[in-house]
Amino acid sequence: MNEKSQNDKPMLEAVNLTKRYEDNSLALNNVSFVVNPGQIFSMLGGNGAGKTTTINIFLNLIEPTSGEARINGITTHKEPLKAKQYISYVSENVMLYPDFTAFQNLDFFSKLAGKINYTKKDYREVLLRVGLQEEAHNKKLRGFSKGMRQKCGIAVAILKNSPAILLDEPTSGLDPNAGLQFVKLLQELKDEGKAILMSTHDIFRAKEISDMIGIMKEGNLVMMKTKEELENEDLEKLYVQYMSGQFDNAA
Amino acid sequence: MLKNLINKEIREIIQSTKFVISFSVCSLLIILTFYVGAKSYHVNKSQFDSAAAENLRGMEGVTDWRMIDHNISLPPFPLAFLVSGISNDIGRNIKMSGYGELTAKDSKYNEDLIYAAFRFLDLDFIFQVILSLFAVLLAYNSVNGEKELGTLRLIFSNSVPRDKYILAKILGSFLAVALPLLIPFLIGMLLLILLNVPFTSTDWLKLLLIISTGFLFFGSFITLSVFVSTLTKKSSNSFLFLLVTWILFVLVIPRASILLAASAVEVPSVDKLNFQKNVFANQLSEEHVNALKSFKSSGAGDVIEEFQKYMAEKNATREEKMNAFSKQLEEERNNRQNAQQDLSFTIARVSPAASFSFAVSNLAGTSLELIKNYRDQAKNYQKVFADFQIDKTGSTTTSGMVMVVRKTGGDVKTINPSELPKFNFTQPDLSNVLSASIIDIGLLAFFNILFFAGSFVTFLKYDLR
Repeated sequence: MNEKSQNDKPMLEAVNLTKRYEDNSLALNNVSFVVNPGQIFSMLGGNGAGKTTTINIFLNLIEPTSGEARINGITTHKEPLKAKQYISYVSENVMLYPDFTAFQNLDFFSKLAGKINYTKKDYREVLLRVGLQEEAHNKKLRGFSKGMRQKCGIAVAILKNSPAILLDEPTSGLDPNAGLQFVKLLQELKDEGKAILMSTHDIFRAKEISDMIGIMKEGNLVMMKTKEELENEDLEKLYVQYMSGQFDNAA
Repeated sequence: MLKNLINKEIREIIQSTKFVISFSVCSLLIILTFYVGAKSYHVNKSQFDSAAAENLRGMEGVTDWRMIDHNISLPPFPLAFLVSGISNDIGRNIKMSGYGELTAKDSKYNEDLIYAAFRFLDLDFIFQVILSLFAVLLAYNSVNGEKELGTLRLIFSNSVPRDKYILAKILGSFLAVALPLLIPFLIGMLLLILLNVPFTSTDWLKLLLIISTGFLFFGSFITLSVFVSTLTKKSSNSFLFLLVTWILFVLVIPRASILLAASAVEVPSVDKLNFQKNVFANQLSEEHVNALKSFKSSGAGDVIEEFQKYMAEKNATREEKMNAFSKQLEEERNNRQNAQQDLSFTIARVSPAASFSFAVSNLAGTSLELIKNYRDQAKNYQKVFADFQIDKTGSTTTSGMVMVVRKTGGDVKTINPSELPKFNFTQPDLSNVLSASIIDIGLLAFFNILFFAGSFVTFLKYDLR
């Protein structure tokens, strides 16, 4: 089922990632991390901390000023088309095409990902798996709630069946029930061996499902701890302390 | 992948509400254009036939071919009702005489003033105004709209090359509109057959070329819209920019080109020319009267016959001088007019709308060439008519007096109007109209390539975030 990774390299790897924009603002400063297959790495941080910039570099929507983002060992800005074969992406506000039905959206994005043999049955199964009611499958997305669209976006990512998934604040705006469903789904994907990189503001869910959590502030990865390391710590308190600058000198 | 992207583009456009509304309106207008065109053709043909019959009826009872009141008219032709060009602006009726200048009078707009105010609905208008707006409306947000929607990020999270994406955008947008639009055009063509509009095979070919040129023009607005949507971040900005560009291309540049050319090359007015001609004609008239006064019979034969011969000679000399003077003045005016027209057309061709209009009116035979064709063919007919009069009476009507000697006693024979040679207006053939329109068709292709290249180059550097 899963796309096999080359050798045993880390699936997602940021190596000294730095991004400085033309106006000289520093969006990312020497950020490094690794996400292995079957791991979830959550990036926490305020707006403008550099979370989305990191994801944009992995998607090759922007190029790093220095350093490298690698997917399955492939440097994204050097071989973007090859690297993107190994990732799926779910954005904060999944819109997809509002005049397409859920089936039509899934069909388009699956084919775009090179999955040409899927049938309506496959789409139906995935949509049910992500929790989208059957009566909505043939309806245009224009009338969907944010949660329903989010489910479609996740279905698109699942159908691509790539070994790595990038999630950009995927739970923002979801109601508690949809949030729970989402966590369950992420756990399943993780169990399938997917490497998941997620940017989020949701500290509690991040702690619940992540194998590793990083806190980003002003382009720096100021903290990175494993689940085990965080077991006896209050992540929320830690987050507030980092955000308020209490650990600035230590960082 | 390209096929998938094109399919998505087509489906996305066709499933949108704005397409359904715009397409319905355009289809209705296209079918209406064909229907009204066919009906108008029949009405005009019937009027033309009645006028021709009336012309012959008016000659009944006349005893001398030099005394007839003969009018020729520009016959209606079907393509002129689909692409009217200047066909409604030019004079259609010419009072035929065996000598002198011919003047065409009674344009369609003279007869039906309401049309002069609102013009006719034709394919030129449909493509130039309606379909170009349709193209802008459907493609103004083709790239930046996807960015606003967030689908651009999702698309490019896959292994999609940018060149394929932009190619699919343009082809998809074009096909999404062009393919459905073929339906009303086919219905329109079917209407022409059902309403018995006499289309020759050449006419059908010309019509197909007109529609193809229309789609080429439509394509230039699609590529322009995609280009602008790659240049701007917000779809509201691209819409505003395209609206201004549309106004410039369709409404301002063609009109401004005439003003610019007129200020660069001055052409004497027809009134000024007529004044000069009248002055010269009066001068010749005085000379003519003096010459007639100085007539002296040799006393050797019939005085009347001798005077008639003398008068004919003098008339011919006067005619020759007048013609030479008129010709010189008109040649000068024509040269200036051509220079002004060329300059105006060159400036106007900056706009694809002007190029399209020139191309289709040439293909339909309703461009400015129509005046020249009609005038040339009327002049040729004038020679045939003069020869016919000479053949029948020994002389033709001239600018001077005609002395008709009617012998008393015996039967007076009236003329047979059906003997009069007919005036047949011939349309330019396919090769002629093609060569006349090839520059503008080429320019439309160039606009497509230019805007496509612009979209392509801009999108390669487009910020996909």
